Amino acid sequence: MSKTYYLSQANEIELFEAAEEMNLPMLIKGPTGCGKTRFIEYMGEKLKRDVYTVVCHDDLSAADLVGRHLINENGTYWQDGPLTKAVRNGGICYLDEIIEARKDTTVVLHSLADYRRVLPIDRTGEVIEAHPDFMLVVSYNPGYQNVLKGMKPSTKQRFISLSFDYPKADIEKEIIIKESGVDAEVAQKLVNIAGEIRQLTDSDIQEAVSTRLLVYSAKLIVKGFNPYQACMHSIVESLSDEDEVLEVLEKLISLHFVKSE
Amino acid sequence: MFNILEFEENAGKGWEKYISKKADASYEDARVYFNSHSKSLKIFYHLMGGEQGKELHVTDKRFVKTSRSLLERISTSGSTFFLSWQDEKALYLPASVAYFPTKEQNEMLYFWLTAMAVQTSSHSGKLLAKNYYATQTLLQKYDGFRLFYEEALNQLVEHNERLSFVSALNMENLEDEIFLENLNEYPCPLWVYPPLGKNGTYSDFEDEVEPNRGDEEQQEKSETLEMKKQANKMDDKKETDGFLAFLPESIMSILEQVNVDRAEDDSFDEDALYNAEDLDEITLGQKSANLSARIKMDLELSPNFKEEYPLGDGKFLDEWDYSKQIYLKNYVKLKPYLVTNIEPIELEPRLKKMIKKIEGEIDLMELDRVKNNRLPYGDEINLDTWIDYKGHKNKSGHHQKFYESFERKTRDMSTLILADVSLSTEAGITQEVRIIDVIKDGLIVFAESLNRLNDKFAIYTFSSNKNTNVRFEIVKNFNEKYTDNTRGRIDAIKPGYYTRLGAAIRESTKILEKQKTENKLLLIISDGKPNDVDRYDGRYGIEDTKKSIIEARKLGITPFGITVDLESKDYLPYLFGKNGYTVVRDGKKLPKVLPEVYMNLTK
Repeated sequence: MSKTYYLSQANEIELFEAAEEMNLPMLIKGPTGCGKTRFIEYMGEKLKRDVYTVVCHDDLSAADLVGRHLINENGTYWQDGPLTKAVRNGGICYLDEIIEARKDTTVVLHSLADYRRVLPIDRTGEVIEAHPDFMLVVSYNPGYQNVLKGMKPSTKQRFISLSFDYPKADIEKEIIIKESGVDAEVAQKLVNIAGEIRQLTDSDIQEAVSTRLLVYSAKLIVKGFNPYQACMHSIVESLSDEDEVLEVLEKLISLHFVKSE
Repeated sequence: MFNILEFEENAGKGWEKYISKKADASYEDARVYFNSHSKSLKIFYHLMGGEQGKELHVTDKRFVKTSRSLLERISTSGSTFFLSWQDEKALYLPASVAYFPTKEQNEMLYFWLTAMAVQTSSHSGKLLAKNYYATQTLLQKYDGFRLFYEEALNQLVEHNERLSFVSALNMENLEDEIFLENLNEYPCPLWVYPPLGKNGTYSDFEDEVEPNRGDEEQQEKSETLEMKKQANKMDDKKETDGFLAFLPESIMSILEQVNVDRAEDDSFDEDALYNAEDLDEITLGQKSANLSARIKMDLELSPNFKEEYPLGDGKFLDEWDYSKQIYLKNYVKLKPYLVTNIEPIELEPRLKKMIKKIEGEIDLMELDRVKNNRLPYGDEINLDTWIDYKGHKNKSGHHQKFYESFERKTRDMSTLILADVSLSTEAGITQEVRIIDVIKDGLIVFAESLNRLNDKFAIYTFSSNKNTNVRFEIVKNFNEKYTDNTRGRIDAIKPGYYTRLGAAIRESTKILEKQKTENKLLLIISDGKPNDVDRYDGRYGIEDTKKSIIEARKLGITPFGITVDLESKDYLPYLFGKNGYTVVRDGKKLPKVLPEVYMNLTK
């Protein structure tokens, strides 16, 4: 029994285990706050592997992944990056939001992500063969688009893909109850609210409410907040800054949780 | 100046105002208007699960045969109502409501009706049953609605006991005769009704018949009037005057016969439209247009003196039919062609200044590989800096910034510019400048800047005349160099017919897909909604266009819409997504805005 709480949505645990067994890299897509990171942590514990998490950003260079020369009193020495560490010692290297990284950075993954499973380091001339327990996992959120951002097809096509979405209503309800300790009735209402907000598309709202936010509001309610207030602070204000959207979301919350003074 | 006639009129008006108020029982102080909430309501409609493509409009008055109270009969009110109703295209709500004493309640009524509209379309059955079950569903699910509804219904019944049948409804008596009679007795403001039936009263949901569906053609035209009128048809083919066009008992309402020519294509009488908004009833004549009008129509199609060279026999493309949810295979014929009799044109001096300025901005965007030295961290150690550091006597006081890193900024871009050159671009922005002129200027300026940036680009224009004839003109393809000839071809662009946007996007997608660059941008310059003379209008056109945009996205192409449409842009976010479009409010600024949009997109 692992410590991290994770409730399976579909076949993702079996798929992950199978990919791990066959030494295949994995790509996880899904909207924010739907449980991608939690899933990796959970799998890491389940498979008894270390998880090296790198949150990608547009300034991330290949050196940040592979490693670089540092300096101490004896001169320069080589310091492994998180990717190299995982490749040498075994473990799950998890690159979160890989789409944010510059494309030339992710090219270093290519030789690791196919049958070769090696990591060449040109600075030291080393070619490291991956530890049998090494596994590469990347994730991104396909929601937002910029012309110049996006994954290279050649990178994308090296992974087994797993698409996450917000959990189904009954599963989500269970997660909320388990994570926050809120009662079933309130959890059901939160799930209903989420279901309605998720019907909005990108023309109205940038991204729908995440399970994470629902858990936050449930926690606030457990803490003693009035449910209307809790939802306003955790759900409504976090989702949008536009007056019309705020007005409508407020209306929706007040329909579910009657605003009391 | 005191005028006895005017006095009489004023007195009459005063009386009418007084007596209507007495009969109306509405709360003017708390009146809430649709327009101030339309955007929120639309979002709310989606929130409740309503269809994305549907629109929200203001409804028109509807005549309902009711038993009127004495007061109402005196005041002539109580026979027409602003009912909320919907058809497959849109949801129609009253322009304003004042049924309840507080603003909050009246505002809530709008939200209630919007939620009801979603619910009634998901429940089956007749009008009564639909509204009953929809109400029950909402009451059960939302505490907030329950509070509102109970209070609202009580207040309504208090004012008007003829509505008491609403609260008497329950699951067993839904089919009872007595309620069906009551239905025509007094319309319930809390309900959503089906479209107007043939006979002037409302039909039930089951047999939805749109007004005046005489023949297909006529029906199409009537859709240009965005609200539905109580429609009668009269036979005016015989040369009689319209003297008996109204019945004596309805003398209290205005009836006017305007010669609106609905059987003729596109002859648009603004006055008639204006009048139509004010009328209670529209009567359709069946007389066809007189000869002079027809001759005028023919003359409007200007002779084409462009020498065109067709490229191939034309291509067949699929089209998406949202009502059937299928692709119509090879439904559209698209004909690519090239204009050959063009003159090379040099850059016009009036554009030179603007281009100069944009080029300045472009030069600021440094695109070469940049090497940054003396960084606290980086990809490599810069040995010179390192040795410098090593040789320094006082190391502790020396900064340790001896890394260097490379930042490469290459732009692996192909851009296809697809310009809408439909007839509507002939319209003027000012007296001298037409939309098409602005689009041409925009294309030239943009082409100059793209050329400067060394980015690959192509320019195509399109217009259509039904699904069999979508014209796709090549101005510059990806391989051609940008020369004076390109400018000549841009200058030779002439407005065509209509805007079958979906087909044009599909063809552009095919072209872009073959480009080997990593980033592919499809810039769509247009001046309005997709439309064509056949059924490619309204929702059909929008859904097909939306589908074509999704197809492009799937292939890794980024579509971006640039619109010079000054009317409501409700459909734009639906088509392109929230961040996928921009609206150029001042059409004249298009040439300046185009390169800016591009640079922002590709920064």
